[in-house]
Amino acid sequence: MTTEKSALTDPIGMLESRVSRRWPSIKEARAKAHQTTLRLGKITAGQSSTDASFVVFGSLARREWTSKSDVDWTLLIDGQADYQHLAIAQEIATRLLKDKFAEPGTTGIFGNMTFSHDLIHKIGGRDDTNENTTRRILLLLESIAIGKPESRERVRRLILKEYLIVDHGFRFGSLPFKVPRVLLNDLARYWRTVTVDFVEKQRRQGGQGWGLRNAKLRMSRKLIFATGLLSCFSCDLLADRSARKQLTGPDHSTIGMEEHLRNFMSRTPLEILAIILLELKIKNSTAIKLFSSYDAFLRLLNDSTKRNHLKKLTPDNIPGDKIFGEVREFSRQFQDGLTALFFQGNSRLRDLITFYGVF
Amino acid sequence: MRIMGFSTGALAYGDFRRALEMLKNKKTNAVELSALREHELAPLVDALDSLDLSDFKYVSVHSPSSFDKAHESEVVALLGKVVARNWPVVAHPNTIYTPSKWNSFAGLLLLENMDKRSLEGRTALELSTLFTTLPRAGLCFDAGHCRQVDSTMNEAYAILSQFRNRLKQVHISEVNSRSTHDPLSGAAIRALEQISHLIPENVPVILESVVGEDELEAEICKARYALSSAGQSRQAEPFYAFVG
Repeated sequence: MTTEKSALTDPIGMLESRVSRRWPSIKEARAKAHQTTLRLGKITAGQSSTDASFVVFGSLARREWTSKSDVDWTLLIDGQADYQHLAIAQEIATRLLKDKFAEPGTTGIFGNMTFSHDLIHKIGGRDDTNENTTRRILLLLESIAIGKPESRERVRRLILKEYLIVDHGFRFGSLPFKVPRVLLNDLARYWRTVTVDFVEKQRRQGGQGWGLRNAKLRMSRKLIFATGLLSCFSCDLLADRSARKQLTGPDHSTIGMEEHLRNFMSRTPLEILAIILLELKIKNSTAIKLFSSYDAFLRLLNDSTKRNHLKKLTPDNIPGDKIFGEVREFSRQFQDGLTALFFQGNSRLRDLITFYGVF
Repeated sequence: MRIMGFSTGALAYGDFRRALEMLKNKKTNAVELSALREHELAPLVDALDSLDLSDFKYVSVHSPSSFDKAHESEVVALLGKVVARNWPVVAHPNTIYTPSKWNSFAGLLLLENMDKRSLEGRTALELSTLFTTLPRAGLCFDAGHCRQVDSTMNEAYAILSQFRNRLKQVHISEVNSRSTHDPLSGAAIRALEQISHLIPENVPVILESVVGEDELEAEICKARYALSSAGQSRQAEPFYAFVG
C-alpha cells in the first residue's frame, strides 16, 4: 500500500501550532486515557486471546477520559465456541469493579460478550437490532483493543469489506465522487437512531440523567457522526491514487479503499477532525470553533460538580440553568464549526455533503 | 500446468516414506518432505539418498516448527545437507533464533507467514521486519494461515504484492479455527480465487490439506481450479464438477 496523505503523527498538536491555540482539557483527557489504558491492560492481563479481544468503546477509545468516565466494553469473540468465554467476560467485569471502574450503562450493549458473526452478516434487515448496529458502528468509529487485538482487527476488516463489496455505486458507478454510500447510510442511520433513542430514554427514565446525555449528544455523539462522514468522504478526498485506481480498474477492487478506511478510522475522532482541517486547509477560525468548544466540553465533564449537576438536570429545569447555559454555548459553537467545515470550508467537501448528506 | 503436490506431513504425519507411496502414480509433480517435529529431521536427512523422488520436478523440506535454541546449530547443520542438494528449506520465523546461522542458505531459505497464534510473521508488516534480518531469504506464502489471520484476503494481497520477488513456494489448505489443516472448503476456494492472479504459474504449490489417499487427487483438482483463470473468472464449471 502506498503512503496515505493523512499519515500525520500528531495532528491535534499540529493543528494547535497552526492556529496558535492550546486545548489543555483535550490534552489532559488524552494523557489520562493513555494512563487508564495501561491500567486496564494490567487489570485484565491474560484475559484476552487471539479469538477474543477485550474491546473498549466510548471516551477511553476516543482518548477523552475525564474523572467520572465509565468503561464501555465487550469481549469480542471471533473464533471457536468456548464455554470459558462467559467466565472470562465475568472475570473482566469483576476485576473492573474491584478496581473501582464505573459500570457501563444499563442498556445491556456493553459489559458482556459480542459475537463477530452477527456484526458482519446482519447489516440491515430486521435482524440487525439496535444493539447489533451500535456495536458494529462503534467498533468502527470509537474502539480500541486492550491486550490481544487480533479478534477486533479481523472483525473490523471484515465489516469494512462487507460494506464496500456490496456497494454497487461505489464500485461501478459513474459519479465523479468515490464515497462508500452503504457505510455512510449506516452511519447516518446509527446517528439518527441515537437521537431518537435519546427521547425514548427521556421518557423511560423519567428525565434521569437527561442533562448529561443531552450534552453528550450535542458534542461527543455528534463528533463521531461527523467524523464518520468525514471518514467516508476521505475515500474521495484523501485516499491514495492506487486505491482509486484499483476501484475504477477492471476488477473494481475495494482492497485499497478498505485499507485506507481501516487506517484512517483507526484514528480517534478528534484526530480525524484535525487531519481533515489540516489536509483541506480549512480556515483557522473554523478549527478554533471546533476544538475550543470541544475543549470546553471536556473541561466541564472533568468538573465533578458540574457533571453531577448536569446528571441531575431534567428538561423542566433548563430555563435559567447556568451550567446548561455553558453546554448550550459551546455546543452551538461546535455546531457552527461543523457547518462551516462541511458547507463553507472546501468546495469538494461542500459538494460531497450536499450530495450524500442532504438527499 | 502448475507445479503442484503435497506435504508428506499432511498425508502421513511423520511417515514420509508412507506419504511418498501414497503419491505414486498420482497427478502431482512436487513434494515437500516434512520434518515438523524436531526428532523427524535427522532420519529424513539420512534417508534422502534412498528416496525415489524421480516423479517430482520440485522438492523442498519443511524444517521443524519448534525446537530449543540450544539445538539451532544442529538443526541448521542438518538442513545444510538439504540446501546442498539445491532444495529449498521452509522455516517458521519463530525458529530463526540466530539469523546469521541461516544466512548461508541465501535464497533457498523460505520464510513462511504464520497463523494467528504466532506473534510474528503474520502480516506484510511483520514479514518485512523478518526480511530485514534475512535479506536474501525467499517467501513460502501460506494461503491458509493468511486467510485465518485476515479472511478478507487484503493481507494476502498486501503480502503477495509486496514480496512478489521473494515468492518461491505456496502452501494451500484450509486452516480451521483450531489452527489445524483441513481439506479446502468452498469458502477457502473462493478466497484463493481472489488472489490467484498474484501467484505466478511457475511458483510451486504444496497442499497441506490433511486428506486420505482416496481424496488426494480430488484435493489437487480443487486447488488447480481455485488457482486457474477459470476459478478467477468464476465463469467455468464449479469446482465440484471436477471432483465428483
